[in-house]
Amino acid sequence: MSLTATSSLLAAGIGEMVLSSSPDDHLIAYGLGSCIALAVWDPRARVGGLAHFMLPSGPANSSSPVKFIDTGLDTFLRALEAQGAVLNRSTLKAAGAAAMLTVGGGLAIGKRNEEMMQTSLTERGLNLTAASLGGNVGRTVQLEVADGRFLIKSLSSVTEL
Amino acid sequence: MTLTLSEAGQNVVAGTFGRAMKRAGEALGSMSGQIIDVQTPVLRRCTAADVLAMAGGAESVVLAVYVGITGSLQGHALLLFAPRDAHRLAQILLAGLLGPGELPIESTTDPLSYDELELSALQEAGNVTISAFLNELGMHLHEPVQPTPPQVAVEMAGAVLDAVLLDLVSDADQVLAAKTSFSEHGRAIDGTLFVLPRADSLRVLLDALGAIGI
Repeated sequence: MSLTATSSLLAAGIGEMVLSSSPDDHLIAYGLGSCIALAVWDPRARVGGLAHFMLPSGPANSSSPVKFIDTGLDTFLRALEAQGAVLNRSTLKAAGAAAMLTVGGGLAIGKRNEEMMQTSLTERGLNLTAASLGGNVGRTVQLEVADGRFLIKSLSSVTEL
Repeated sequence: MTLTLSEAGQNVVAGTFGRAMKRAGEALGSMSGQIIDVQTPVLRRCTAADVLAMAGGAESVVLAVYVGITGSLQGHALLLFAPRDAHRLAQILLAGLLGPGELPIESTTDPLSYDELELSALQEAGNVTISAFLNELGMHLHEPVQPTPPQVAVEMAGAVLDAVLLDLVSDADQVLAAKTSFSEHGRAIDGTLFVLPRADSLRVLLDALGAIGI
């Protein structure tokens, strides 16, 4: 199993989201550390989205719509619904929130990101279907729009969540 | 609070950072016993995504030595090497420390695997390099600047840098990034030094340089 490298790769940079209903597309977020990626896929509408959140909370930001989980999550979910996704039949998978370095006296942004993601989804009546969060490994993640597979690549392995 | 730097103020910071980065390269050269070329440093106000691009992309694999900057000036410093170059540098450093008869056999099978001696040598190289940068900077400041203990990681650049970037962009869209590259004269050991100061703490440096308000 390997991550796909084709012209139909749509990358969600840091603080960005990508969405697609094309089965040829692969949605990817590279090199997650403390950041957290949320992948949503509706198996009936065959619509997928991947958001690369940076921080737990902060003001809405037009240049980085999913910079903050608390203000960016609704932006992401509404964009998915606008593409035809129905959230309560979709799979929601998350990865990231690692602690690579002790920065700023043990700020533990990754842990705070994980907690905010869980809380924010619960408040909206949603739950994670699967997650690979925490630890001290970097992760690149990829959502296959065709079948909803969510692949996680670290330096040592590629796994499917 | 975010300090807005004028172009003239940015030039003053760039000049000071540039001299400090040259000192850092000299320290790395002195420690390794090699002639280290230092590229002209660049100072940019840019986004987090730009910093990741400057590091070769979020997924590029690096050996990173991280040192936090505390005291009157605050921020983060990282010395990054490609894994194979990090192995070469470690071998050079250990040859100097242990003597040729005691040199560990160089591993060529897995560039991502380092033994404790190699990691320790590289961590110390990062510490010496970044401390030289801070010492030079400290000569311009009235109050001390201290490094945190160095941390070393072999990972995707994005994963190493994002914790640092998240600390800087929580209340700003852009960061101030200073970068230079080192290479061993004649044979490449490419290393990249990033210094990412907290913009609001730059005031102390501008004040000390007499550049506040320009």
